[in-house]
Amino acid sequence: MAEIFVNMGEIKVSAGDDVLITVGLGSCVGVALYDPESKVGGMAHVFLAASKDRADSEPGKFADTAIPALLEAVVRAGGKRSQLVAKIAGGANLFPKLTQASLNVGLQNVAAVKKHLALHKVPLRGEDVGGNSGRKMLLYVQKGKVMVQSIGSELREI
Amino acid sequence: MNGKGKLTPMQLDLLRELGNIGAGNATSALSVMLQDRKLEMVVPEVAVLSLPETTALIGGPEALVAGIYIVISGDVDGHMAFMMPIESAAELVQSILGVETVEFDEMARSVLEEVGNIVVTSYLNALAEMTNLVLLPSVPGLAIDMAGAIWSSILAGAEIYDEYLTVLKTDFSSEGKQIEGHIMLVPGKAGFDQFFKILLETDR
Repeated sequence: MAEIFVNMGEIKVSAGDDVLITVGLGSCVGVALYDPESKVGGMAHVFLAASKDRADSEPGKFADTAIPALLEAVVRAGGKRSQLVAKIAGGANLFPKLTQASLNVGLQNVAAVKKHLALHKVPLRGEDVGGNSGRKMLLYVQKGKVMVQSIGSELREI
Repeated sequence: MNGKGKLTPMQLDLLRELGNIGAGNATSALSVMLQDRKLEMVVPEVAVLSLPETTALIGGPEALVAGIYIVISGDVDGHMAFMMPIESAAELVQSILGVETVEFDEMARSVLEEVGNIVVTSYLNALAEMTNLVLLPSVPGLAIDMAGAIWSSILAGAEIYDEYLTVLKTDFSSEGKQIEGHIMLVPGKAGFDQFFKILLETDR
């Protein structure tokens, strides 16, 4: 089984016996998308909610461009559009003292990811979001299993 | 902007000089706090790096670190972080409180916040004195977490999403007390242009 790391702003897919891993999710949101039937999965590490006028940037950085790009990548790798399900993790606020409620990037990211999953009619099957701790997220492509871990806590399935 | 290769040699020199002065002052403040004459800083660097590269600087995305974050406002906007591996943070708290072991409880956290505050404001004061800029630090925020989570949260909050970013960074370490850390300064959305513009106006 190979470990495939997904860096900030990246989108990676696999149809093999792999685990897609993203570490250091703070206010960012990790999105795991998979087709449990054909055992194809993909992961995005979303940095901000909206791409606005940032057309030259990589699509994986922003929720509104990352969700369609991830969908397309998983379908291209053999996933069936109608069978895709999603699980998400992240969107924490690591510096609550410095953050005005209206500027909570983590919560904005979570809301944007959920909105764009809904717009593309992908059911959200699990989440571990918010709080004040960073997270690591793993998607075991063959099992369709998603695990999440924060510092000082056990790995848990969502 | 923050783009790669946009800095002229003169601008690079200017940033390096700013880094030197700021970091020198920050390091001496820290060595006084720690009563450690062996605390040394590595010559500050101006680096133009991708996001994964900046995270690698502070130990990789999964490394457990204590990060103190301060937002700069005033004449220019910027973001400063003071990041230490967790072992160094523990050693630092032990040495300041004079205790043998450390739990990162309220007391230890407030020590770290205060140390970060002093280090960053020493850096800023030196910059302000040299440039005549008004540089106002926010209250310090502390997170003990994965380096990647801390750093990406800072950049996301600052809406810095460029492929490459210009970072002023200083490493310091001490032989006497197993302490090492990094001071990072990134400009706000306007980039270092804001610094240059004001500096060139006030210098002439």
